[in-house]
Amino acid sequence: MGGELGSLVASLLEQEPWVGSLCGIDVDPPRRRLRKTEFHRIEPSHRERIVDVVTTFDPHVLIHLAVWEPDARAGTAHAKQFTNDATTAILGAAAECPSLEGIVVRSGIEIYGRGRHALTRPDETVAPRPTSEFGRMVERIETVAESVAQRIGVAVGALRLAPVLGPHVPSPLGRLLRQPVVPFSILADPPFAVVEDADAARAFVAAARMRLQQPINIVAPGAITGLQAILRGKRIPLPLVGPEWYLARQMSHLGGAPIPEHVMEVLHRGRLADGGRSLDVLGITPTTSTPDVIDRLFRWESVVRITKPHAVAGTHGVA
Amino acid sequence: MAQLIELPKRTAATVESTMTAVTSPLRSLVPDHSVDEWGRDDQLVRLLGPVARLRWNVSVGGAHHLPAKAGALLVTNERRWSFSPLYVSLALSQATGRPVRFVGRPDHAPFGAGLRRVGALLDDPAEIHGALRHGELVVMATSSTNHPRYAGAVDHELVGAAVTARVAVIPVASMSSTFSRAARAEVGPPIRLRTKRRGPLAEIEIAEAAQRHLQRILDELGGVQTGMAAIDFLGEG
Repeated sequence: MGGELGSLVASLLEQEPWVGSLCGIDVDPPRRRLRKTEFHRIEPSHRERIVDVVTTFDPHVLIHLAVWEPDARAGTAHAKQFTNDATTAILGAAAECPSLEGIVVRSGIEIYGRGRHALTRPDETVAPRPTSEFGRMVERIETVAESVAQRIGVAVGALRLAPVLGPHVPSPLGRLLRQPVVPFSILADPPFAVVEDADAARAFVAAARMRLQQPINIVAPGAITGLQAILRGKRIPLPLVGPEWYLARQMSHLGGAPIPEHVMEVLHRGRLADGGRSLDVLGITPTTSTPDVIDRLFRWESVVRITKPHAVAGTHGVA
Repeated sequence: MAQLIELPKRTAATVESTMTAVTSPLRSLVPDHSVDEWGRDDQLVRLLGPVARLRWNVSVGGAHHLPAKAGALLVTNERRWSFSPLYVSLALSQATGRPVRFVGRPDHAPFGAGLRRVGALLDDPAEIHGALRHGELVVMATSSTNHPRYAGAVDHELVGAAVTARVAVIPVASMSSTFSRAARAEVGPPIRLRTKRRGPLAEIEIAEAAQRHLQRILDELGGVQTGMAAIDFLGEG
């Protein structure tokens, strides 16, 4: 609930008439003013406290959003560890709640993988074959949630989100695209799709309301290639062929925009998914198209760092 | 007393203005919004149209058999190295005003990536099913033959994608010459089985029927160069 997506979901849930009380757990405090929500700031490794809070609250619906995307807020190793800790603690605690009716987990279309002969636009019936660490992380979340749900007999649904972009959303893909010079694969330049955080949040609310029982892809309509995204943002495209990607990744890391494995996949193999079922099942579909999400990404103001003015010798600074 | 703070000049703004100046003349060649949800680049297809017409001057017949909005699997015959799915899809796309995709993309760069931009899909039944379910027109080829007027066998697994997506299977006879630009694409009526099948026999029988229909249309077409041969006037009396 401390992340942008979690805060958005919580603020939307507060407006829902079917929601009585809300309880949230995160390592960071909420980013929005929440009126009804009870918030607990707990580290993902503190399993006993998480179990205590969840079982005491005894929810009807549990929305599990605690997924650390590699190189978004933490490096890959830490992201994996935090995600695993949170999954074990929260879904384990959910199994102890007698009133629980449904679980909704955050997953990603990275779960389908982009290996050789992977479908261009997989739908939910395609078997997961992740080829990146982030894909394997979300696959584990879905597996754990399904096993918990089977054991205690509750509904479990997974929302497989396209790369989430939005104001304040930490995203390695968004950060990379906003660099002044952006590398792209000149030989492939494949298409990819994204989703805006507000659309993803609406999908979570709908999934919780209807006690979703299946995986659903949440993908904004339309697609865009790396070069097209760079041109839309009026950045300098840096065409790369192969071996120099290693150097580009290191340089980008030093520049503050690390390129993790799953973002490399986006730039080399593309990332599309069939999001047609969300309208049939959830009754909603993302409204902001992929090119529009990319445009909004470039419209956010950059951080302007104001340094303290140096006092000139012999003069007095103004306080 | 207030302190006057001068904000540093944004690097991004400088880059943006430079890039706008550099890319504005190239904007029509490299559009920033032309890829659809399957990776087909409509702008690129339009740019390649005149180039393709240098090789194939395709005359299209029977386009009224194609559905206006729904998806359909179009089965076309292929002579070895004729690239008939490519020119058939380009010609039908121009004739109908709808994007027409074709099956047979290798999954490696740069060829696979390039073909995806002109509408190619992987030859995977699941991929074809997904496209047909979303109302796309997809061209698939029979197995290739050495003779331009023989239709090869039709892969029933790919036809199965159309059966499960509940869309029509339509034969498209294609004919081209190795040495000239003349090419034809004749669309036949949708294939209907006399006996409705519920199981996998449906796709096998539709695949066989598609091959028969294609052969019949090819026989009726009578070759790429039709008309009177130079010495035919001798026989007319």
